[in-house]
Amino acid sequence: MRATAALVAAATLVAALAGAAAAADRPALRPEDVSYTYGAAPFAPAFTPPPPGSYELPPIDTVADHAVLDADGTETTLAAVIGDRLAVVSFIYGSCAEAAGCPVSTAALHRLDRLLAADPALAREVRLVTVSFDPARDTPARMAAMRARHAPRSDWRFVTTRDAAMLQPLLDDFGQGISELRYPDGTPTGVFRHVLKVFLLDRRRRVRNVYSVGFLHPELVLNDLRTVR
Amino acid sequence: MRPIALAALLVFLAASSVPADETCMSPYMPKLTGQEDYVYVWTLGVDGLGDGSDKLVTVGANPAAPDYGKVVSSTSVGGRHEAHHGGFTEDRRHLWLAGIDDGAIFVFDVAADPAKPKLVKTITTFEKDSKLAGPHGFYALPGRMLVPGLSNATHRDGRTGLAEYNNDGEYIRTVWMPNDAPYGYDARVQPRLNRMLTSSFTGWKNYMRPLGELMADPEAMKQFGNTMVVWDYHARRPLQILTVPGAPLEIRWALQPRHDYAFTAAALTAKLWLIEAQPDGTFAASAVADVGDPQKTPLPVDISLSADDRYLFVATFMDGTARVFDVSDPHRPRVVHEQQIGRQVNMISQTWDGERVYFTSSLLSNWDKTGDDDEQFLKAYRWDGATLTRLFALDFTAEKLGRPHHMHFGQKRFYANQLASVAVSDGGGS
Repeated sequence: MRATAALVAAATLVAALAGAAAAADRPALRPEDVSYTYGAAPFAPAFTPPPPGSYELPPIDTVADHAVLDADGTETTLAAVIGDRLAVVSFIYGSCAEAAGCPVSTAALHRLDRLLAADPALAREVRLVTVSFDPARDTPARMAAMRARHAPRSDWRFVTTRDAAMLQPLLDDFGQGISELRYPDGTPTGVFRHVLKVFLLDRRRRVRNVYSVGFLHPELVLNDLRTVR
Repeated sequence: MRPIALAALLVFLAASSVPADETCMSPYMPKLTGQEDYVYVWTLGVDGLGDGSDKLVTVGANPAAPDYGKVVSSTSVGGRHEAHHGGFTEDRRHLWLAGIDDGAIFVFDVAADPAKPKLVKTITTFEKDSKLAGPHGFYALPGRMLVPGLSNATHRDGRTGLAEYNNDGEYIRTVWMPNDAPYGYDARVQPRLNRMLTSSFTGWKNYMRPLGELMADPEAMKQFGNTMVVWDYHARRPLQILTVPGAPLEIRWALQPRHDYAFTAAALTAKLWLIEAQPDGTFAASAVADVGDPQKTPLPVDISLSADDRYLFVATFMDGTARVFDVSDPHRPRVVHEQQIGRQVNMISQTWDGERVYFTSSLLSNWDKTGDDDEQFLKAYRWDGATLTRLFALDFTAEKLGRPHHMHFGQKRFYANQLASVAVSDGGGS
């Protein structure tokens, strides 16, 4: 259902952008302009994740603290948002309709939120954090609305930044590259090309896993949380 | 098989290739669709030819551009390291390239100017970090690089493992191959099944020795792998050891949904093998076709599977030939085209749409043919489903470049983030 919704959203976005492009005498944005190709078919996991604790997740990297705005517009830091918890940090932008992009990531976190709610002891140790990389459009109010739509049952925070200057060090530190798709005259389309990434952080802000397309399996993330708790 | 023929097979078998083609890259990495602008060729330096150093050569590949089929740029890394294979990071912005002699790893930024990749980092601690030797390939994982080794730093024989680095070039861990299947070569993940396959070759002591010397050492000739390993990828835990005689090299997972299988080619025995999931979730290996006449030791060294899982291209080094198998029925591959590419051929790279196929010639510096047979080239062909038609050829000896080995594709539009419907001629970024 969610995959269908994402496709519909993508088609809607492309249609809207195509209309805007035509009005401005610009080439139409096509689906292949928006989405990366990762494989011949969407990722559809057909396995049972290995049991928690049956494997190791050695630290991949350590991230520093960075300023962000929480959903009520208060300036804080990512470390303060996470607190003394494990964290699953997802980078998205609210206008994204890429079939293998933010909708996939957000749907996975939604599912993870429900899984965590079913394990209250673990849920008390975990904070989900959705970070926007589109500060111009994803205002704190929009992030708050996004959070309301998902009606989290675990502790799921939505944060953004004030501007590119606040955002860029955060993206650089996590290695979350983004670039805005532009019309040939250089005008931004409002669409970002980006590799979907979700990060699992332990309490020392060490990255213990990174999930992307072809790997973002909520049950697997849950087992990873149980492994590093 | 006569001992000499076997020895020759074993020797030539070693050079091989890790996939560079667009259909066989990490499933965690975005693919290039549409017309490629560049082919990046990791090239072994040759003493007395040009500057003699290993280098990354960028060749124009867009027929609409004036640099089509020509050298666009060339960046030497200094010295000869036995340049072999490479791979992009998961965001495709950096290209990691390795030498399998000293284990040096060179990281190029390809995003800033796709026409002229820039060397931005050199990692000289691979052996110290991982205890492995011979970093054979780079397979992008989210935030990391998986680096299958060929050997180890202590004994430099065939016992090896899989190293992991983060995208900043910092070492994470080494996972050793199981004791009963110690050799390594290729490593490929099917994320849908959470399964990784690894294949097996030989160690530094063998692949760096001159051919004649190696062939005269019967003990050394026994030190080649005959196994593949099925892993729980997420746990990095070996689950099964499959017997695949004759040094299984390149691994290609099928790409279509519900195609739960992979192919490999055993170089010594010149056979295609199907590695297929069974109803109980285990895997079984079966030989499904000969590649040419195995008695003539053709040495299949690289394979490439089309994105629709229909065609499997196989390059055989000894006869310099490309064979195209229809593998629509993976249990019954059949040859639908056969064409000599040169006097020797090694690597194959096909585009995502399967319409263009590129070949290079070099296997290993000490194992390439000699004299007039030592052709060193990049050749581009169009594949129309029936035949290969030459598009261009670039003579790497005449250009004083060296021995071309691994290939990767570059595209200005991919990095410029502009719309495909308008020609992008300046590579300007967003």
